[in-house]
Amino acid sequence: MVAAAPAALRRGAPYWLAGLGAMLRFDLVSSREWLAVLFIVQVLMGAGMAIIYGFYLGDMPVQAATFVATGAPTLAVIPLGMTLSPQLVASRKIEGTYDFVWSLPVPRAMAALSSFVIFTALAIPGFVITLLIAWWRYDLALAVSWWVVPAVLLTSLMSASVGFAMGHAIANPAITGVLTNLVIFVALMFSPIAFPIENFPGWLAAAHRVLPFWHMANVVRASLARGLVSDVWVSYLVLGGWTVGAWAAAAWAVGRRR
Amino acid sequence: MTAVAAPPGAALRSGIGYWWHSYLMMVRWEMTSLRVVLVITIMIQILSGAGFVLALGLFFGRVPGRAALFVSTGVLVITLVQIGLVLGPQLIAQQKAEKTYDFLWSLPVPRTTAALGWVTTNLVMGLPGMAVALGVALLRYDLDLRVSWALVPAVLLTLFTGTMVGYALAHALGNPMVTVAITQLLIFLIIGFSPINFPAEQLPGWLAALHRWLPLAPMADTVRAGLTYGVVEDLTGSYLVLGAWAVAACGVTGASLGRKG
Repeated sequence: MVAAAPAALRRGAPYWLAGLGAMLRFDLVSSREWLAVLFIVQVLMGAGMAIIYGFYLGDMPVQAATFVATGAPTLAVIPLGMTLSPQLVASRKIEGTYDFVWSLPVPRAMAALSSFVIFTALAIPGFVITLLIAWWRYDLALAVSWWVVPAVLLTSLMSASVGFAMGHAIANPAITGVLTNLVIFVALMFSPIAFPIENFPGWLAAAHRVLPFWHMANVVRASLARGLVSDVWVSYLVLGGWTVGAWAAAAWAVGRRR
Repeated sequence: MTAVAAPPGAALRSGIGYWWHSYLMMVRWEMTSLRVVLVITIMIQILSGAGFVLALGLFFGRVPGRAALFVSTGVLVITLVQIGLVLGPQLIAQQKAEKTYDFLWSLPVPRTTAALGWVTTNLVMGLPGMAVALGVALLRYDLDLRVSWALVPAVLLTLFTGTMVGYALAHALGNPMVTVAITQLLIFLIIGFSPINFPAEQLPGWLAALHRWLPLAPMADTVRAGLTYGVVEDLTGSYLVLGAWAVAACGVTGASLGRKG
């Protein structure tokens, strides 16, 4: 189909596009056994946590329930890009297939792009299902706007990028494993995703103005409900910063291995 | 050591002395083979227990007294049982995957001592996390705790039942992957869908009713009754359900180990 004579294709846009197509196919096929598990993990983490927080809090006022319900889709995005994507890279390192993947005759930027595309796209069904379940569970009047599209795309692209950079920049897969578990722990228990940042002690709130978790929740929440988030553009900027920073780190880590 | 180590022979192969000697050997065996895991587990237990207690303040902003009381006492139960119910089956699944499982059962000790050795190891791993979580809760929240002697049997029975249910699960299930998947779901069930960290009224009615017959709620009730006054009712029922689970778990373990012997 696309495959023309190899020598002619070694540069230029068609070569890059063909490389991207091939890597997308390669990544999808090699993770096909994982897809169902990924989806379940996402929904458990998002919708499951939305329900669990409700049990812990007991009878919630509408405001608190809206916070939990609009935080849940963000929780569903985090495990995919920030933990499963680096763990996939780590498991390639453990299995010894990591160098093989880099030996494939495609530009490395396309291999990275393929990972971003796949993990961004895979986050969407979990996001939607979680939102629907949380909505149904708490019976809220949400105001879903078109901003949900850039919000979900940016949050999942950002976490896919950070996860990719983590997986590649950290040499030891065991450390990647520990870090990803830490991310889950911090995101679920110590992040202002399902709770207002006002509940947090000053130093932790200050840390969360730099970390991406609160900003992820902000852009998503602003697109789902009115009046809960102010200055959402700051959050878009911070998330954009994290994405670009992750790309730079990934470029360094991937280029270093040449 | 020399006092315990009698010369091996026919005379020692039965009786309480032999059994006790084997039990000590198995405790030493478990502790030595787990020494790295042991330290890491105790640290994780301490961090997650204390973390849970502290995270509650972030959930609520201003924590209601009853919620603080439930989480502070519930976390103790979770630290006690998650080793036996989650880590234990995973370790046994790993032994099966690595093919060292049969070797362990070929050791010349009564199998009851192997089981009790594991329960003892669980106690060593669980108690520090439990103590730290309680300490953090007392410092952070203004709790009305009244510790009574009933705490001792409650903790021991909870730990024993949790460990033996996990043990039965791991020995009865053939496929290690299934064991790991089930234990992952169990964490979720324990933390999120059991009336351990919050009152049963906050669960949907059918789930609360189901929990009267599962071991998790009785574990929480018995331990909580040892720490508080007037929060838990119908303690006898809890002890009965918990005891029944302990006996059943021992039965299943015995049957599946006997089968393999």
